Amino acid sequence: MTLLRVRDLDAGYGDLQILTDVDLNVEDEEYVTIVGPNGAGKSTVMKSVFGLTTHMGGTVSFDDTDITGANPEDIIRLGLGYVPQNDNVFGTLSVQENLEMGAYILDEVPKDSLDAVYERFPILEERRDQKAGTMSGGQQQMLAMGRALMLDPDLLLLDEPSAGLAPDLVDEMFDKIDEINEAGTAILMVEQNAKEALRRCDRGYVLVNGQNRYMDTGRALLDDQEVRQDFLGG
Amino acid sequence: MGIAETYSRSRQFVDRRPLTHSLAAAAGVGLVLYLLWVLVSQLVTGQLQIHELGELMWDGLMRGLVIGLAGVGLSMTYSILNFANFSHGDYISAGAFSGWATTYLIAGLGRADIGSLLLVGAGGSVFGGALGIGISTTPLAVVLGVVVAGIGAVALSLFVDRTVFKPLRGEDGITLLIASIGVAFALRYLMQFVFGSDVRGTTSQPPAYSFYVVDGWVRVNYHDMTLFVVAIGLMVGVHLLLQRSKLGKAMRAMSDNGDLARITGIPTEGVVRWTWIIGGALTGISGYIFVLWKGTLAFDDGWLLLLLIFAAVILGGIGSVYGAIAGGIVIGLTASMAVIWIPSAFARAAAFAVMILILLVRPQGIFAGRATA
Repeated sequence: MTLLRVRDLDAGYGDLQILTDVDLNVEDEEYVTIVGPNGAGKSTVMKSVFGLTTHMGGTVSFDDTDITGANPEDIIRLGLGYVPQNDNVFGTLSVQENLEMGAYILDEVPKDSLDAVYERFPILEERRDQKAGTMSGGQQQMLAMGRALMLDPDLLLLDEPSAGLAPDLVDEMFDKIDEINEAGTAILMVEQNAKEALRRCDRGYVLVNGQNRYMDTGRALLDDQEVRQDFLGG
Repeated sequence: MGIAETYSRSRQFVDRRPLTHSLAAAAGVGLVLYLLWVLVSQLVTGQLQIHELGELMWDGLMRGLVIGLAGVGLSMTYSILNFANFSHGDYISAGAFSGWATTYLIAGLGRADIGSLLLVGAGGSVFGGALGIGISTTPLAVVLGVVVAGIGAVALSLFVDRTVFKPLRGEDGITLLIASIGVAFALRYLMQFVFGSDVRGTTSQPPAYSFYVVDGWVRVNYHDMTLFVVAIGLMVGVHLLLQRSKLGKAMRAMSDNGDLARITGIPTEGVVRWTWIIGGALTGISGYIFVLWKGTLAFDDGWLLLLLIFAAVILGGIGSVYGAIAGGIVIGLTASMAVIWIPSAFARAAAFAVMILILLVRPQGIFAGRATA
């Protein structure tokens, strides 16, 4: 079943158009990455799904519901989670409070989700009362993911989850993402670390100048001579 | 994001000027030592007695609690909506008038005509002292007055938000600030038109306790105690709200990062509305208890208090609720105790001098970067 369906999407910021006719699907429990050069509009795709850009044409639907231009609160309710690249934790709130905010739309903080997040990221439980802003970049990234997992979303949008992490943490982060995916959550990820992302995902899109360029399984894209040459540094 | 960038930019600016910084610190330390020396010599020579010092400190604490409580409201709206609301002072007056109209009505019903009671004795038609108003003499009138003062200021701030600030949301802070100055003038002169411009006495002399301190008596009256209990109670309430409740955490989240709050699913407009409600209630109540404590009411009370409140809030680190309380007490103490060193006409100037001095040493304010936390 197709969870996320982006059709002919045109979007940008104000008068500036970034995306032209972007098409993209994510199937149930699928792991999809978007790669491409800087400025290709990868993050803009994510933001557009969440209604944070200026919509200029096309549609976004999730689980057969049209969410084009819907407000974030309603999108989250449908089962979509989003971890932006920068400033993705509330630095002055404690770890636990950050997680509670992730379940704000529910009347009560779901105990089982909280336990599941702590189980997945034990470091967060150790630091549950620490202010999020005082943690390392990798821990903040885990917290941001944990917050998005509080509602047990069907699809998680991850914008550059490995950005700014120390090399040994990058692998750990990718392992965590694999685990989340194996537990049944579909992933749509933007990654600058293109080779590793393509190695791990089911399917990848190559985005150039705000347009679709290639789409194939991760393995096939890695093996493709042109893709290697132009986007993966040979 | 915007705030964080501005903040780090100003930090860099500050860090590049370490000389001014340390000079200001040295000047500050020197000044404090000089002031202490003057104080001690006055105490030793008997020019100033210890119980007088105690009285000044108590007076400053009272003033500081009012400023702090009103400052919490200002700081909350600042941290969540990102603009300095200059009409805040007139919300204080509006809360005071609505509360005092209620108090006059209840205390004076049957003894004066309803019109003059509702206009809080405009033009000298009724006097609060003659009605015997006070926490011990007319407790119900005072308690209901406090409640209505809160409700009145809430209604006003929601109305102004709906009609003026909400349509301007998304404009920059300067536009909102200038709009709020317009609102301030409109409200103030509307109140002057309705209630008149005379200063009226609102309370009868409340009973007092006297405490013997070293060399004399310090008087603490019932209205001092009322102010203390109400202000501290509300401050503790705000603290619990921010730290324990779901709404309070959402308010802190929003003041921390509004964009992230939105994509996390926090209904931001709802949080904004609650911010006005809570901030408005604190503001109206602070106006009421201020009038109860000082015993007089005028249409520009809030406006005159506003600059001290801004001083307190900026001093505490704008946007920080705890900073507003701490800043309020520092500014209140300064304004009251300044007469030890300088003629009383300069007391207000002294409060601002302290603000400037502390900001020179610590430009981020006392509780910098802690948002509402």
